Amino acid sequence: MSTFKPGLVHTPVTPFKTDQSIDFGLYAKILEFHLKNGADSIAVPMQQAEDVSLTEVELRKVIEFAIRQVKGRVPVIAHVSDPGTGIAVERARFAEQAGASAIASHPPYFWHPRPAMVVEHLVQVGSATRLPFFICTPVVEDAGTHLTGEMVLEVVKRLDNIAGVVDSSMRFVFMAETVSNGREIRPDFQLLSGTDFMVPNAAVGGTGVFSPLSSVAPKLARQIYELCRKQQLVQARKMQEDMAELHHMIKKGGRAGLKTAMRAMGRECGEPRLPALSLGEPAMSQLAARVAACSYLSAEPRGW
Amino acid sequence: MSTVLTEAPVAKPQKKPAFVLKGVMQAPVTPLHDDFSVDYEGLAKMVNFHVVNGAPAIAWPHHKAESPNLTMEERKKGAEVLIKTVARRVPVSIFVGSLSEEDSLDLARHAQKAGADMLLTISPYCRRPTQEEIFHSIVRIGTHTDLPVLTYNSPWRNGEGVEFTSELVQRLIERLPNYIGMKDASFHSEKFMEISRVALRMRPGFSIIMGLEHLLASYPLGACGSFSSCGAIAPNLCNRFFAALEAHDWETARQCQYKITKLYRLFKDQYPSSLKGAMISMGRNAGPIRPPLPTASKERVEFLCRQLEELDVINTEPHGW
Repeated sequence: MSTFKPGLVHTPVTPFKTDQSIDFGLYAKILEFHLKNGADSIAVPMQQAEDVSLTEVELRKVIEFAIRQVKGRVPVIAHVSDPGTGIAVERARFAEQAGASAIASHPPYFWHPRPAMVVEHLVQVGSATRLPFFICTPVVEDAGTHLTGEMVLEVVKRLDNIAGVVDSSMRFVFMAETVSNGREIRPDFQLLSGTDFMVPNAAVGGTGVFSPLSSVAPKLARQIYELCRKQQLVQARKMQEDMAELHHMIKKGGRAGLKTAMRAMGRECGEPRLPALSLGEPAMSQLAARVAACSYLSAEPRGW
Repeated sequence: MSTVLTEAPVAKPQKKPAFVLKGVMQAPVTPLHDDFSVDYEGLAKMVNFHVVNGAPAIAWPHHKAESPNLTMEERKKGAEVLIKTVARRVPVSIFVGSLSEEDSLDLARHAQKAGADMLLTISPYCRRPTQEEIFHSIVRIGTHTDLPVLTYNSPWRNGEGVEFTSELVQRLIERLPNYIGMKDASFHSEKFMEISRVALRMRPGFSIIMGLEHLLASYPLGACGSFSSCGAIAPNLCNRFFAALEAHDWETARQCQYKITKLYRLFKDQYPSSLKGAMISMGRNAGPIRPPLPTASKERVEFLCRQLEELDVINTEPHGW
């Protein structure tokens, strides 16, 4: 049984050079920024890090690089999702050997497998290592990856090292059923938010967050997290509304939106890798202007 | 999706209702006789049961009350029974959603004349309306009545995309001074906040009422209550849940929410068939369900009864009317 509590997890982006290769020099800077700005744990490479655009060699290199750079200052969670069970299993084993503290995976996208097959996939990936294992709900739920409370429950029954679910579905019923059913079997079963909508997740019983917007507003993420931790949920409303506004502002531009917002905060991370496109003008300037106009971002760190 | 609002747009001054919507509000089922005719005496008993067991408002006929399977005449007569039975003890909302907008207007006229306190309406059914079409439909109904109006957001029932986005809510608040709230059945953090952060900024008293009792996640963010699914079975649980929310006793609220979620999972099967089936075990038989929905079988009723015992509902909730 796992007792690893990830807390406020930052999810760094992956920077690319103009020739599309990973800029590891800049990646080191990004990781240091997150360490300096309140990450309890770091998860790499999550969706915000364009994991699906990285090759197998790059995925392993990113995990290995992050672990070396962090040097044990905080736990590093390795995200190993893949359509192929065997590939995800091998990547999880690699991450364990490289020194990861936990493994995270969502159901296999693309295939639209039956529920039993999704469960089997997650059990095999989870049991590939002895590390705490987190099931992630996928950001895109209709790409064959739909996850139900029943599937989670089956995995919980079969995996000793299951630690919890990282929820990006934001569905109230899924969150409530997952955490209540999971804790009936394992009292330390965790629910974490996979988005910056922390308050609803914490109300239902969530105890942590994978924060995509920690790249833009790490202080706001920390403030909301601390209020949630103290169960001051009503007091967190205004900040949660600010974070929701920031989320909507950035969402329209996808991966490019996040990197554009980071640039507006003085942290140039380049453009997303193809096939994701740069926002282009005038959208880029408009988003930058909107970010600059957000009074609730005035206390956030500028630059590195 | 949403337009980010840095400054709240100007809304017409709100026509403030004479009541405050708050708590787990009850939406009664429609009791039927064995021949499937509406049991109006039973409806009066059902409504009275809810009021004496703490319902802060009564709303009828929601989908749970089989509204799509009732005739216009039955809906009007039911509304009259409801308003007369409640007798101003709590506010009454009448749902006017129907396939034909002309019928909705007729129901709205009738509800106002009969003495309802507010109307609930929904995006047009079964035609995947555009945002523009939803806007005009709600405005047409909202300007057809002097009553306060609530809208019902149910992307799950009406199809993904057929929903009240923040832009739509913003336009409706700007246009309708009698637009007082939303029944939100998106059950989704991001969708809820799209509505709440815009609506509550523009119209601070705007009532966001959750469908069923999936209230815990949204209460800290401004939801004022819910329209209950399980109040006919477990009103004590509903009231305890809301009291815990008001006291910010999150642990108790969580235990209540988990139990209510389990109950809803039981009732979800051919909703509201299993709900009516479970009511039998509580000594409140509301009769069969109109086709095409199935009436709960004897085996299903027995199964539901065992589940209510396991969830410790039978001994902790009122029996009979």
